[in-house]
Amino acid sequence: MSVLDRKLLRDLWALRGQVLTIALLIGAGVAVLVMSVSSFLSLRGAQQAFYAESRFAEVFAEVKRAPRTLLTRIAGIPGIAAVEGRVGGEARVDWPGAEVPVAGRVLSLPAGGEQPVLNRLRLIAGRLPEPTRHDEAVIHVAFAEAWRVRPGDEIAAILNGRRERFRIAGIAHSPEFVFTSRPGNPLPDDRGFVVLWANEEAVARAFDMQGAFGEAVLTLAPGASEAAVIAELDRLLLPWGGRGAFGRRDQPSHRFLEDELAEQRTLAVTVPLVFFGIAAFLLNVVLGRMVEAQREQVAALKALGYPSFPIAAHYAKFVAVVCVLGSALGIAAGAWMGAGMLGNYRPFFRFPEMPYLLPAWLPLLAAAASFAVALLGVLAALRRILRLPAAEGLRPARPVAFGGGALGPLGRRLHARAKIPVRGVLGRPLRTLLTVLGIALAVPMVVLGLFWWDAMDSMVELQFDRIERGDAFVALTDPRPARAVREMARLPGVLAAEGQRIVPVRLRAVQRSRLLALTGLPAGAELRVPRDADLRPVPIPGDGLAISRRLAERIGVREGDTVQVEVLEGARRVHDLPVAALVEDIIGFTVLIEIGALNRLLREDDLVSHVALRVDPLAAEGLWQRLAERPRVAATNVKAVWLRVFDEVIAGLVLTSAVTLTGFGVIIAVGVVYNSARVALQERGWEMASLRVLGFTRPEVSRILLAELALAVVVAVPLGLVLAQWIVGLILGARDNESFDVPAVISTATFATAALVVLGAALASAVVVRRRIDRLDLVAALKARD
Amino acid sequence: MATDPAPPPGDFAATGATPVFVARGLCKTYGSGDAAVHALRDLDLDILQGEFVVLLGPSGSGKSTLLNILGGLDAPTSGRAAWRDHELTGADEAALTAYRRDHVGFVFQFYNLIPSLTARENVELVAEIARDPMPAEEALALVGLSHRLDHFPGQLSGGEQQRVAVARAIVKRPDALLCDEPTGALDVETGKVVLSAIARANREVGATTVVITHNAAIAGMADRVLRMGGGRIVAIERHPRRLAPEELVW
Repeated sequence: MSVLDRKLLRDLWALRGQVLTIALLIGAGVAVLVMSVSSFLSLRGAQQAFYAESRFAEVFAEVKRAPRTLLTRIAGIPGIAAVEGRVGGEARVDWPGAEVPVAGRVLSLPAGGEQPVLNRLRLIAGRLPEPTRHDEAVIHVAFAEAWRVRPGDEIAAILNGRRERFRIAGIAHSPEFVFTSRPGNPLPDDRGFVVLWANEEAVARAFDMQGAFGEAVLTLAPGASEAAVIAELDRLLLPWGGRGAFGRRDQPSHRFLEDELAEQRTLAVTVPLVFFGIAAFLLNVVLGRMVEAQREQVAALKALGYPSFPIAAHYAKFVAVVCVLGSALGIAAGAWMGAGMLGNYRPFFRFPEMPYLLPAWLPLLAAAASFAVALLGVLAALRRILRLPAAEGLRPARPVAFGGGALGPLGRRLHARAKIPVRGVLGRPLRTLLTVLGIALAVPMVVLGLFWWDAMDSMVELQFDRIERGDAFVALTDPRPARAVREMARLPGVLAAEGQRIVPVRLRAVQRSRLLALTGLPAGAELRVPRDADLRPVPIPGDGLAISRRLAERIGVREGDTVQVEVLEGARRVHDLPVAALVEDIIGFTVLIEIGALNRLLREDDLVSHVALRVDPLAAEGLWQRLAERPRVAATNVKAVWLRVFDEVIAGLVLTSAVTLTGFGVIIAVGVVYNSARVALQERGWEMASLRVLGFTRPEVSRILLAELALAVVVAVPLGLVLAQWIVGLILGARDNESFDVPAVISTATFATAALVVLGAALASAVVVRRRIDRLDLVAALKARD
Repeated sequence: MATDPAPPPGDFAATGATPVFVARGLCKTYGSGDAAVHALRDLDLDILQGEFVVLLGPSGSGKSTLLNILGGLDAPTSGRAAWRDHELTGADEAALTAYRRDHVGFVFQFYNLIPSLTARENVELVAEIARDPMPAEEALALVGLSHRLDHFPGQLSGGEQQRVAVARAIVKRPDALLCDEPTGALDVETGKVVLSAIARANREVGATTVVITHNAAIAGMADRVLRMGGGRIVAIERHPRRLAPEELVW
């Protein structure tokens, strides 16, 4: 072993505190990168594998009732690879134990007891229904797991007003229901939503669809134009009550999954980039400073005739050891957290397999990147030293030319010992700036972990306190005359009832189009109050649409513009309507119109399809039961249940990220403060020991040394709070999720917590350094400097 | 000049003067077993009020260890040392710090000035924690640096820096002035300037002064020269007349 290598080992040991904190810093950067990218790749991998295996359809079309013979003509459309017709419908399920009626969907399986050609099921228990049995069904895994349903159990469903009993033959995953939620709910509610697959004859009989199909699913030939196929399909289905075909992009499960993947991709890039950037910056500063503190050693080596290269190699090895240590920690932690994060997705996304994937290039990339930035920091510092004439380097670092001597009027009032930290801060402005920035950057990390709670609170408040003011939302099986609302208002426990008419539409603006729900609201509605950006109620325009501001921004529409609305029901009429107002929303995209105007557009009487209710909480349970018994009620969504699900699902997710990022915030704060203090002690230990010899007490000397850092922390924390707001905005701005908008709301409590965490970490570092100051070797101060 | 062959303990009992520093049976051992280094071996010493003592001896003779123990920076392995009624052996860290703060002025070989403070501020730094300091300007005037008050250490020559260190040591009007190789890093002429500053402080502040050196030429300045070797005082010289630093021949 060469002498320099021995020095390396001893240096590593002597500086173990710094080595460890820097390694943790690297580890944190690597961990975030590995975690985000690997969980993204794993989710993407699970999606691709399952879609391929199950032959997930690419185009979907619903039709009121089309003869099966039409399928042959559809198959003849150029560009179609495979087509399959099926029957499906809404179901209401009486499930003992469910507090609100379970909403469901029943789909047919091909006659003959085979797997469908497209959207094949992956059975995880039991089997498909026997071809001859009409009372057997396969149940979706989400509901089965939530209620511990097993093959052989029975389930009663009301289909088309008729009660049917099914025996569960098997439990399955489906590519169409990777993400499942009750219609209209943005979050999964496994206990409140069920999908059943039964033999075609049974389903067709229940929905009066013998010899017909209500849904066509198809795949495209390679290179086929989806738009062209959809157009041709719509043309064929129109006479039979086609509701407008759509591509995978608009399939609810797929869209939600894609939104999440897009979001994850954004986060996989932005968060690690921000974090890695911060870590790299700190690494550069901290290591650079450490080398700076060894300038006399470097100069001595140079004076002894060592060429620059072995000296540089020596420090590169130091960096390599620290990076290897940090990367190993980071890769292990990142893989562990990535697998954990993937686990967090399980309640959202139902894949038969979701293996954790960690491609080899990822940790290598992370490790190489951290080594590169670390080396850069060290070599830059080394170059500064090596450029000095050896004699210059051997002298103690020349104190910066402290300008003028006096500190102005301030100088006369300050104690000499207070001037030491003040000159330290002002005399090396660049270093001070870097320290301040480093500590400041710890604050956004903690805020990034915690602010989700604030955002979710604010989301819930806007959507569920300000906008949706009802307690429950009832979907009717089909549009009913407005007197249905009055009837419902008379039910015991109902305090107020308001009818709404909701129709599926395709909204077109310039080149962009979206499949959306157009909601007709009565003027002066109180159970749903649209709001503008200042949260003031927006009156429902009598002669146009009120649309989501978020939607307007996406499709490039402003107030006063005209959009084209194609109603995907009945005669599929197309209307040009002005955008009369923009409204705020958080979940999905709102498109509102006055209900009378909508009825006129649809050329129908005063019809409603949904009813919003305000409910007496004491009478609520009986009411849900009563609603469940009404034949025209398809589903009842209860706000309180929804909020509970929201809390359960989101809390777990948010907690994970909060704990992780807060931990990283602490690592950063400790990394910067501890290393700054240690380097300061390294550089000035001699000075401090001299002061001790001169009769200064330990607390006095500690105060002088740590005051400089305290000054930096005092400036850094408020700066960090400002940075936090900015970085949160930056990351949310990079999100691209149509399902949810996350408002950049950060509460005072979050800011305060982040500030306290960083102050605490700084304090802890100071205590550790203080103990070292107490152990200063006074006798050494009288001797020559090393 | 009289040379005693061996140092008698209680040297001054006969003269009636009261010793301010008293050391009895001082031993200091670093390490243990075969690797043990005996820096001081059973050393007895008395130093009188206002006396100017030079500790002379080669490296490793134990003079720095002795000075460190007298200055409250180090503790003997055995034996006792006292400053007037302050027991230095067995005193805790806080008591030793208070002792250094209230009674001792130090001058180091490498000046140990705070680079970010001017000459005046370096002196004020100590004045601020002293009980009855003289004005910093006065201390700097005593060492002839009235014209360099607002210069930073980086702007001063080595000799000037050491004179700032002397001013810093005397600003508190110390009872004892302990100097460890104060001219070690300086050339002859500069060394003489520093030594006159120390001699003047000894005279005008009345501080009992102990100077370590391995430069025998400095010995002429002292009331008494203690020659050290192997952890013991091997010889004592007394000078009825102290030479002025300018008279010293290097």
